[in-house]
Amino acid sequence: MAVIETHGLSKHYGTGRFPPGRRHETVRALHELTVSVEEGEIFGFLGPNGAGKTTTIRLLLGLIHPTSGGARVLDHDISGGSLAIRAATGYLPGGIALYDTLTGEQTLDYLGSLYGRPTPLRGELTDRLEMSARTLRRPVRDYSRGMRQKIGIIQALQHDPELAILDEPTEGLDPLMQHAFYDLLDERRKAGRTVFFSSHVLSEVERLCDRVAIIRAGEMVALSNVADLLAHRKRHVEMRLDGAPPTLDGVAGVSNIVTRPGHLSCELEGDVRPFLAAISGAAITDLTIEPARLEEAFLEYYADEDAAEVAAAAAAAHLADAAR
Amino acid sequence: MNATVFRQVLRQQRLRLLVVVVALTAWGTLMPIVYSSIGPQMASIIKQFPAFEQMAHFGGGDLFSLPGTISLGFIHPIAIALLAVFAIALPLSGVAGERQRGTLEIVLARPVSRRSYYVTLQVAVILFIGLAMAATLVGTVLACSAVNVIDQLNLATFPALWLNGVLLYFAIAAIAFAASVSFDRMGPAAGVTLVIVLVAYFLQIIGSLWPDAAWLQAYSLFHYLQPDLILAGGLQVFDCVLLLVVGSIAVVYALIVFPRRDLAAPT
Repeated sequence: MAVIETHGLSKHYGTGRFPPGRRHETVRALHELTVSVEEGEIFGFLGPNGAGKTTTIRLLLGLIHPTSGGARVLDHDISGGSLAIRAATGYLPGGIALYDTLTGEQTLDYLGSLYGRPTPLRGELTDRLEMSARTLRRPVRDYSRGMRQKIGIIQALQHDPELAILDEPTEGLDPLMQHAFYDLLDERRKAGRTVFFSSHVLSEVERLCDRVAIIRAGEMVALSNVADLLAHRKRHVEMRLDGAPPTLDGVAGVSNIVTRPGHLSCELEGDVRPFLAAISGAAITDLTIEPARLEEAFLEYYADEDAAEVAAAAAAAHLADAAR
Repeated sequence: MNATVFRQVLRQQRLRLLVVVVALTAWGTLMPIVYSSIGPQMASIIKQFPAFEQMAHFGGGDLFSLPGTISLGFIHPIAIALLAVFAIALPLSGVAGERQRGTLEIVLARPVSRRSYYVTLQVAVILFIGLAMAATLVGTVLACSAVNVIDQLNLATFPALWLNGVLLYFAIAAIAFAASVSFDRMGPAAGVTLVIVLVAYFLQIIGSLWPDAAWLQAYSLFHYLQPDLILAGGLQVFDCVLLLVVGSIAVVYALIVFPRRDLAAPT
């Protein structure tokens, strides 16, 4: 079952007509986004600042209204069923703002009570994110950025929502807390809950997500399983040799071959077996194949327009396959 | 109306409410004391120099009679400033301010409709204004008793005075809310509201001091709260209806505009 389904979702902003005479311009914050997020998956929404990630999230929650297109979240239309969507969703905004005069505990009580449902996960979340009772009794104005972020995560998940929408959730968390947070998300996936999160931290998307959409300048340029995306990325190969280098010209998946005495480097894409067969007779003293990183995939998509267009076509094909 | 938001607003405003209620009670006690101290002398001075009588009618109030002095207390900038804490500052900070700070986003990302959020704030503001106006009248009655001028007042007219006062500040608050839901930042919303209120105040004052400009008062909201007339003759129905209509138009505007607006990311 699709928890989130968007169809040609677009949001354009005008720059306004005041003062008179000022040139009116339209900014395409999001353009014809069509994507589907399945129940029980962790879906990463990846892109640089200003790409349209937050706009998408705000559209899904009814905080802003689409210019065209539409979406359904948890089987409710975002235009007419916004309250029902929000009742079943936990939301962490990017750079969360809290009421400075309230304590952490009062903040969680207030934000929890607005859902009108129990907050069964609060105790576990405060323990896992190391927010002690003493800390929670302090006013939020005394909190560090990391502590505010932890409160943000707890308030988004404490009522055990069917869908968690998290906008750059690990911002401000130290590495230890980031790992605690990753474990929390893994557990939510195991419990059948759905997580949609935006990030520009590639390593966490790679580690956590089942699928990832890459967005640029308001347009989705890729949608793929993380594993598929990584499988199709080039890996960097370095080898040290005690003799003549192997002949790699024409070997499937091998490119950018650079040789110098005692050393060879190249890029490897796809199946490794033709490459391994080609080097089997060579006098290799050391071999390193760097695992493909999502970051490289990401940078490749963003490196030039052509790559982006190819990726967009691939995304469209992927959607068509999914529809079939 | 959302009970959780309402409780939160009460919690946030309770200290402010206490301060304003105490201050307006004190302000209410001051006017009868001033009247009993200098009122008769002022009346005899004006009798000697009738040319100055118009100049002494500041905003429709005066110091020659107890109702006139109470009217002066209602139109005085101090009373207006104290009531503006709830009639202007709270509506502005409650929507535009919360949006600018980013806290509105986390509330409206929950199952709270914008209309219900707005209505909750509006109800809270009316409650606070009602309490503040009641405090002023309680102070006035206490002081009138203390200085033995209570027999110059018809206490049966006080509920009408309370209602008319509440309606004036309801109208101002509704205008402030209308501005607040129309902007993403406090500055423009505060600017629009203050211009409307200050122009209205200026029209009322200039019209009361200058006979040739008396017609301007009809365009001021403050003109539709005339405590001396209420204390003399009871409820001024037209004034109350007009204030109710102005406030209601602003409320309807806000109820239409607020849900339709985009709440862009906080700045």
